[in-house]
Amino acid sequence: MSRPRIDPRAARASHLVSTAGALRPRLDLGRTGPVSPTGRPRRDPRREMAVSRVSSDGRPRFDRSHQGSFEGLAPSNKTVVSPAPAAPKLRIVAEPAFLVFAIMEAPGGRLTRFDRQLLGAAHRLVGSSGEGAVAAIAFSPIADLGTAGADRSLIVEADGASASGRARLLRGLVESFAPRHVLFAEEGESADLARRLSVSMGEPILTDVEHLGPRQAIRATKGRMAEEVGEPPRLMTLGEDRAAPYGGETCGARTLAFSEEAAPIESDDAILSDEFIPGDPARLTLSETDFVVSAGNGVTDFDHFRKLAAALKGTPGASRVVCDAGLMPREAQVGASGTVLAGDCYLALGIAGAPQHLQGIAACEHVIAVNTDLHAAMIERAGLSIIQDAQLVMPALLKLLEERGS
Amino acid sequence: MKTVVLVSGARHPVSRRPALTRLEAQAASLAAKLGGTVRGLHAGPSDDQLREALGHGLGEADWLEIEDRVDPVPALIDHLKAAAPDIVIAGRRGEGTGDTGLVPYALAEALDMPIIADVVGVSPGAGSGTVSIEQALKKGARRRLVVQLPVLVTIHPLAPPPSPFAFAAARRGTIRHERIEATGLPTAKPSPFVERPYRARPKMMRQAGAGQAGEKAVLVGPTPEEAAERILAFLEDNGIRRYSA
Ligand SMILES: Cc1cc2nc3c(=O)[nH]c(=O)nc-3n(C[C@H](O)[C@H](O)[C@H](O)COP(=O)(O)OP(=O)(O)OC[C@H]3O[C@@H](n4cnc5c(N)ncnc54)[C@H](O)[C@@H]3O)c2cc1C
Ligand SMILES: Nc1ncnc2c1ncn2[C@@H]1O[C@H](COP(=O)(O)O)[C@@H](O)[C@H]1O
Repeated sequence: MSRPRIDPRAARASHLVSTAGALRPRLDLGRTGPVSPTGRPRRDPRREMAVSRVSSDGRPRFDRSHQGSFEGLAPSNKTVVSPAPAAPKLRIVAEPAFLVFAIMEAPGGRLTRFDRQLLGAAHRLVGSSGEGAVAAIAFSPIADLGTAGADRSLIVEADGASASGRARLLRGLVESFAPRHVLFAEEGESADLARRLSVSMGEPILTDVEHLGPRQAIRATKGRMAEEVGEPPRLMTLGEDRAAPYGGETCGARTLAFSEEAAPIESDDAILSDEFIPGDPARLTLSETDFVVSAGNGVTDFDHFRKLAAALKGTPGASRVVCDAGLMPREAQVGASGTVLAGDCYLALGIAGAPQHLQGIAACEHVIAVNTDLHAAMIERAGLSIIQDAQLVMPALLKLLEERGS
Repeated sequence: MKTVVLVSGARHPVSRRPALTRLEAQAASLAAKLGGTVRGLHAGPSDDQLREALGHGLGEADWLEIEDRVDPVPALIDHLKAAAPDIVIAGRRGEGTGDTGLVPYALAEALDMPIIADVVGVSPGAGSGTVSIEQALKKGARRRLVVQLPVLVTIHPLAPPPSPFAFAAARRGTIRHERIEATGLPTAKPSPFVERPYRARPKMMRQAGAGQAGEKAVLVGPTPEEAAERILAFLEDNGIRRYSA
């Protein structure tokens, strides 16, 4: 196959704009000249870009998914009017054909990341047909259940109940509502509850599920040499970070009605006394704690820093520079070569935010940065950034905490 | 006080040879420190794991030899009913067997014992016939329970590290062997799930600041007092800590 050769001179000449008297020849490469030796229609990259541009003001944004023909499209200076943001839609399931229970832990009445993932997984089991409903079950009141994806909510105040009491209560709920699936977190008290429920009901359970879809659930077994696959059973515990949190429209979160008689809360006779000992943040390791107060090279006043960490009830941490200098113990180092945090909140005082450091706080939901440099990477990462000298902020924080009397 | 430590038929994650899990080694050390008569118990085709547990402080052990495909739970129930221990200590999950962590719960249900999960410490209680148990909760919190004996506990990884393995102790310890014929014992329940070779599924990436609600706030050059106010307000609004008295 031989194609006619392109004559570059002729092609260039066809783009030439006649500007009489100009010193340099001016070319308009956007103009599609008649010259196309092959006879094929020529692409006009500028026009294609203009068509895929979706916002006309500020920073240009392009939607490259446009697959149609670009022939005869509107002129490049057309403005795309973005539709006015509609009111958020509400997902209402009036009469669900079936329920999927998701058991929330929500310490302190706040949904954790894992709780949200559980609700997301429950939505996968329900599907988008609108037949089924996701019911969030919790033992203490929780805020924000609707946006997290609960169509129904059932809060049974059983904070003081023992684990076996909760299992009996849950069994009553499962028997009276007959949910199609009950999803637990494979962590802490939920994992315990799931197993108690499974043996007391004689139902098989799939534990630590790694993949969950509407038709298939998979878990690892035999020390990760084999996996068990099957239809999602009724009882399942989901591994952490195995499902995406729910991201759809806000759900109704209507309360499910239930009678106390169906599920009485009993105490356990074998347990004679029960004492809760809260964790002492000063003595916790970095991988266990939920709130880290951390010092970087921008902190020189370590007396105030240690006092501040204690007063804020956080675990002290540090960047590598500080640990290398011997100002903080090596166990306190946060980052790729230190500890990767699992906590929710990180307060970074005078830390630049090197990639090796940011790796250590990748999982933190809330980050506060105090730094003198507005362009530090830590400021980019933080939800609240204070551009101020850490040596001034620390005493002010201490003073404020003293005033509040804690 | 009679204590039984449950030892599963675990395998080493890399070499696949019979090996004691760290959790069960912790359980053996905890039981040895507790004092009283301590015995290991394993139902399965080999006693290699039990031998290793002896090296971590158990003096004696019982090995119920059953075939590979037989469910160990009925044999364990029969043995524990006859032995009537005060405390049964198990790991919270197996490694290299079923890995469901259901065996202790099935035993507790059948023996009608209370079960306490995720235990990091066991010590004799103040009253007779009681035991004081420390349970690990999330975020470093602990729960101290005083429980009426008998009780079954499962060990949490944060329990004290196991005492070092002593070869001489492993040789010295005695294992009582009992062969249990498969006849009469139900084989493991047919599972509704199909087994196939494992395929690694990476966990979802934890995105920086995922789930972070609201806008990012940047305060340029506030007074230190204003900065302090904002930091405390941020911590309290997001439910991290409460600072008012
Ligand atoms: C293989 C490898 C592994 C590493 N692993 C880790 C790791 O695990 N953890 C880790 O932390 N690092 C690690 N590092 C080091 C990392 O690259 C950075 O060097 C280090 O994190 C920087 O620490 P820094 O932010 O405290 O110090 P700097 O980079 O010196 O930053 C100090 C910051 O404080 C600010 N500042 C200065 N004065 C003040 C003031 N008065 N008030 C407020 N702010 C002020 C500055 O603007 C600056 O942003 C590793 C490096 C390598 C090569
Ligand atoms: N065959 C067995 N014999 C004795 N104890 C067992 C056996 N299988 C499991 N266990 C105990 O139950 C715990 C949990 O095991 P699993 O339910 O298999 O995950 C283990 O850590 C052991 O303490």
